[in-house]
Amino acid sequence: MALDYRKCAQEIVDHIGGRDNVAQAAHCATRLRLVIKDNSKVDKEYLDNVEGVKGMFESNGQLQLIIGTGTVNKVYDEFLSITGMTAATKDDVKAAAAAKQPLWKQLLKPIGDVFVPILPAIVASGLMMGLVEALGKIPGLNFAGTDWYAFLDMVANTAFAYLPVIVAISAARVFGGNIFLGAVIGLLMIHSALTNGWNAAAGYEVWYLFGHIRITESYSLFQINQLGYQGHVIPVIIAVLLMSNVEKWFHKHVPEMLDLFVTPLCTVLITALVTFTIIGPIFSGLETMVLNGAQILVKNPLGAMVMGAIYPVTVVMGLHHMYNVIEAGMLSSVGLNTWMPIASAANFAQFGACLAVGLKSQSNKTKVIAVPSALSAALGITEPAIFGVNLRFYKPFVAGMVGGAIGSIFGAITGIGATAYGVTGIPGYLTINNAGVYTVLLLVSGGIAFAGTWTFWKEEVKKPVNKPADEAAAETGKFEQKPVITCEAGTILAPVKGNVIPQDKIPDETFASGVLGAGVGIEPEDETIYAPFDGEVSSVAESKHAIGLSGPGDMEVLIHVGVDTVAMNGEGFEPLVEDGEKVKMGQPILKFSKAAIKAADHPDVVVVILTNSDDYNEVSV
Amino acid sequence: MKEIEFTVNDPNGIHARPAGILVKALKVFNSKVTIYKGDKNADMKKLLALMGLGVKQGDSIKIQIEGDDEEACAAELEKALNDNF
Repeated sequence: MALDYRKCAQEIVDHIGGRDNVAQAAHCATRLRLVIKDNSKVDKEYLDNVEGVKGMFESNGQLQLIIGTGTVNKVYDEFLSITGMTAATKDDVKAAAAAKQPLWKQLLKPIGDVFVPILPAIVASGLMMGLVEALGKIPGLNFAGTDWYAFLDMVANTAFAYLPVIVAISAARVFGGNIFLGAVIGLLMIHSALTNGWNAAAGYEVWYLFGHIRITESYSLFQINQLGYQGHVIPVIIAVLLMSNVEKWFHKHVPEMLDLFVTPLCTVLITALVTFTIIGPIFSGLETMVLNGAQILVKNPLGAMVMGAIYPVTVVMGLHHMYNVIEAGMLSSVGLNTWMPIASAANFAQFGACLAVGLKSQSNKTKVIAVPSALSAALGITEPAIFGVNLRFYKPFVAGMVGGAIGSIFGAITGIGATAYGVTGIPGYLTINNAGVYTVLLLVSGGIAFAGTWTFWKEEVKKPVNKPADEAAAETGKFEQKPVITCEAGTILAPVKGNVIPQDKIPDETFASGVLGAGVGIEPEDETIYAPFDGEVSSVAESKHAIGLSGPGDMEVLIHVGVDTVAMNGEGFEPLVEDGEKVKMGQPILKFSKAAIKAADHPDVVVVILTNSDDYNEVSV
Repeated sequence: MKEIEFTVNDPNGIHARPAGILVKALKVFNSKVTIYKGDKNADMKKLLALMGLGVKQGDSIKIQIEGDDEEACAAELEKALNDNF
């Protein structure tokens, strides 16, 4: 009979002292790993006999229950649903690691986590929007009047028009809420019954749920502004964070039978009420203040400088919706839009900063995000660059603020302006009254931001944090595995990051002589061994320091960590796989502690040997 | 068929590196060599299988050698065992 995952998980929860006794839960390929607060509440004898639990032990402050491949994840899911703990294990562990960072970094982190997955959508939109709008502004072409323009404009702005929905779904994933409820919250915030956020300046209606209990002149208790959140990011993230927590609370406190009736209903209702009565008014209040402040600031060059600096901050906060009011006002009163150079300087500075990240980063993952985001920013659509790149690394964002400030003061002093509004960055050439000065402005702001980022931003090299974070380290510590041994049967990739040394330099005669087979040594820079190919674990040494693997074409490979490390009796080694387990190339299979090997006075060279190299004609290392 | 019984004295048991020495010594022979430890057994010419047995100090092992060169093979193996374990 198949294992009853829920029953298994329930029994585990019941005998580890309940939800409150679990600080953290994660799982690896075979084991459920729990960080227990009070070990005395754990009924080990019972746990050992729970159906589905094949064994248990304590290691690294974790209670590890062996459940088995393919099963452990299902038990884990049930475990989470019973305890109401958050799903994403890596995120949990990362969060635990992040807890040591300063508060403002902790606040920035979820924004990045939410934004990175949705970048493809908004980069596509951003680039297209920039191009379509630019085409529409070319004088004489009259593209803006064509059906093509209308259609392309619609396609281009979809992701931005409905940005809150995309953000909400991603945020629900990050915060461990139900993503469909997240989608509901996102949709609600831009419901078509509400006035579009971009048209806030034209006025909107208000609902008063409990009559007119005035708190301030413009705000009554439980007042709901019938105003959508188009273009907003932060309020959406806050709303979904709230939603996820409300949802988890209900999951935990509502009997299972009623869960599906009660939890989603209450979650949506409570989130909607709080969002519209509290979060909404706070942000629209702030937006009005920003608008008023901005109008005062732009009157003199110093103010323009301040505005150029804080412009991206207002974009982040989603308080930039009403700037077009300023632009429109300028055009109708003096016929020149001097706001546009400020916005352009600020945006182009974010472009410069983002480009610097793209060029300087060694990480492919960062590059593929930063370069297209920078392009989009050059066309005036900065959200991908700001949220996806600059803000996450924060220094580029600050460099962008500085660049924007200096560009803005330059713009204000030279007095350039635009004859229309709606475009910034490179498309801004179409509306600016002095292309030469505008070029200087872009170069100054973008250049300063680029130089600042290039100088002060250093890519954080992720290192394994501490023991409980091993799962995270396994994920982030990954490196590009290069082939170390090839024969006609296949290729063996380096199982660990580090400098490869020839076989005869291995500080051990037996390995060096090649008597065991052809191989190489690697001086490890990291503490995780990854599978060198798709294959099967033949044996994990009892002393945990060596793993035998069989791979394609019957290759038999021994990965031996350190020399004479058998004497350490497994101390400092933690295999992540079991005998007979199938592994995928690049899968973490063993963790080891360089410090422990050093303490035991052994060389830590990782030896990789093709033990049956005699069976092959051509073996090259 | 030849049979060897042996008790491992080496404090580290038959772990990866010394196991390799045994395998290497056996590879030149045609005989089939099977090692038994308790109710488990392994092809002794396969390093990974041998390691998988996890033979430790104090463990008694039994080795069966079968083939046309079993005499020579058994002698060589016995020597290797005594030298290394």
